[in-house]
Amino acid sequence: MLDVDHVRKEFGSVRAVSDVHFAIEDGATFGLLGPNGSGKTTTMRMILGILVPDRGSVRWNGAAVGDESRRHFGYLPEERGIYGKMKVREQITYFAKLHRLREPELTKRIDRWIERLGLSVYADRPCGELSKGNQQKVQVACAAVHAPVLLVLDEPFSGLDPVNAEVLLAVLRELQSNGTTLILSSHQMWQLEDLCSRFCIIAGGANRAEGSLAQLRSAWPTRVVRVAPPSEAVRNLLEGVAGAHALARVDGAIDYQVPAATDFAALLHRLVDVAPVTKFEALEPSLHEIYLRAIGETAA
Amino acid sequence: MIEDLATVYAAELARRIRSRPFIVGLVVGVLAIALVGKLPAFLDKQVSSANAVVLIGSATLTARAEPLLAANDRILGSLPLQPIDDAFLKRHGAAAAIELRAAGDGLRVTVFAHDPGSVEPGLLRRELLPLQLELTTQRSAAEVKKISAIPIAIAAVGSKFSSAKQAAAVRAIAYTLIFFLYLLILLNSQLVTASVAEEKTSRIAELLVASVNPAALLSGKILASATLGMVQLAVWIATILFLGAGSGGSQAAASGGGILSLGSVLDVITPGIVVAFFVFFVIGFLQVSTLFAGAASLINRTEDLGSITLPLALPVVAAFFIAIATLQVPDSTLAVVTSYVPLLAPFVMFTRIAVSNVPVWQIAVSIAINLAALYVIAVFAGKIYRVGMLLYGRSPSLRQVWSVIRS
Repeated sequence: MLDVDHVRKEFGSVRAVSDVHFAIEDGATFGLLGPNGSGKTTTMRMILGILVPDRGSVRWNGAAVGDESRRHFGYLPEERGIYGKMKVREQITYFAKLHRLREPELTKRIDRWIERLGLSVYADRPCGELSKGNQQKVQVACAAVHAPVLLVLDEPFSGLDPVNAEVLLAVLRELQSNGTTLILSSHQMWQLEDLCSRFCIIAGGANRAEGSLAQLRSAWPTRVVRVAPPSEAVRNLLEGVAGAHALARVDGAIDYQVPAATDFAALLHRLVDVAPVTKFEALEPSLHEIYLRAIGETAA
Repeated sequence: MIEDLATVYAAELARRIRSRPFIVGLVVGVLAIALVGKLPAFLDKQVSSANAVVLIGSATLTARAEPLLAANDRILGSLPLQPIDDAFLKRHGAAAAIELRAAGDGLRVTVFAHDPGSVEPGLLRRELLPLQLELTTQRSAAEVKKISAIPIAIAAVGSKFSSAKQAAAVRAIAYTLIFFLYLLILLNSQLVTASVAEEKTSRIAELLVASVNPAALLSGKILASATLGMVQLAVWIATILFLGAGSGGSQAAASGGGILSLGSVLDVITPGIVVAFFVFFVIGFLQVSTLFAGAASLINRTEDLGSITLPLALPVVAAFFIAIATLQVPDSTLAVVTSYVPLLAPFVMFTRIAVSNVPVWQIAVSIAINLAALYVIAVFAGKIYRVGMLLYGRSPSLRQVWSVIRS
């Protein structure tokens, strides 16, 4: 279990992280969200032991993160780096060895990752000659070749075309099923929504919201009801709901924002009583909406 | 930590040994040694043509003068008295004509030269003095030679050399080794710097420091570079010995130029000099390369490398020149003081050890001070490196660097 306990990190007069805290169960996939400059990367670096928190602590299975635990971690930084003149196989081998992978397991794992990521034809070519997408695959292999217990991926999908994004997604699901604890940050919320079991939204270097998607949604104060057809009677009834207000008309239906505590079954009964209703949906907020609201509050 | 260091060391070695800067440095070094080896012979030839002279005068007089002048001039021939002009010199391929006449009170000499500035009257006077004595005292050449042969004995007092020839040979070898020390330390520190800068600018640094302890990373790089330095040194010394086989031996070494032969090296080099060279090479290289690596971690573009390493290279350049001066005066105050100063001592103390009898306690104190300095440099550079490798954007100010060191 990873426990990030109220960490703070300052660089001179700049406070990059003021108070971030969360815990991740073994094998869970965790989404760390936040706008640029919110402290995500600094938090990830503290988790990996690259930076030492000025206050608070990062503990893995109850012990402070040190050289030994880091050996079992993997990292794909946001700023991708590669040895341009080093061949693909050599580069993966180097990082595997740094994580203490030794023969005969070494060659087996490297071959498997090269094949898994479709890099076989490039294995003996210098990394600098590869396309950006393929270079990114090499970096993924470097980060995961030693079968880390915790893999931290900072913006793993950025710069990938849809096909390569699918390949990466499949790799992440495979790691998930193997029990690897994953921490991901991404601006592609829809991908995280599918992958992650828990999230932490940070802004200004501090937690803004944390929990599973269901928990985050339950804390959301409103819901959207979508009703079709958008008749006068339907509109009049929805206008009468306390705290409701009309949103846009969408595809022959009308959206109304209503308080989350609204009794949707009762509302449906009342709507059916006053007008013919062919569609009634109570829409949950998306992760994207929750994220925007969380960081919007910060901006306010 | 040791295992990580070994992995980084092996990877760095494999990467650097195939790199263009290393191969170019090695080949250029070999070519430079070959060139420097041939240079004295080439220069001798040039000097020899500048000293080509024709003697003009009576056959008796020129015959007696010829052996006296032959030590410093190439005598093209002797001719009877005749008018000398530019055409005469060109016709005989001579730089000058020395006209000798015997007068009642001795010798009269006139030098006709293309370049009057090249004539040294004092030297000529000393060379012709025996002839002058023969003429003025009416004694035979053998008698004059006997009178001139004043017995001179040289007794070495407090010197480690038994003869002037041996001292000159050791200075020549020490000079060569100082030059190698300088080249090896600067070239290989630049390799470490380039490696750190490459990892910083290619953004792979973050992945590395997440995988391995930065101290192991930095140490692996520096040790790999030190190994390559040793490889370079071995190749260069082999080149010298190969090219020097059969050359002038101790004489070549004593002249301070040309290729040193195996015989001349073994004649004068002691195990102490060899050990001192390696000890001070290792200390000096570690000090400079660690300093360079820390500084290189602060740059964001490889173009900025020069501006950050140039000021750090100045002590090495200064140390080189102080060491050259130390060859002649190994016990001067400057030499003694700087043989303790970090970054300077590896050059100066090595030079003092090579050419004088340095008390053992001074060597021990110098090594202790420099190892302590190396530790301090490593701690400071390590802190800068650890933070610098993750620092992108504007280069940090000196104040920020200082705050990192203090942290």
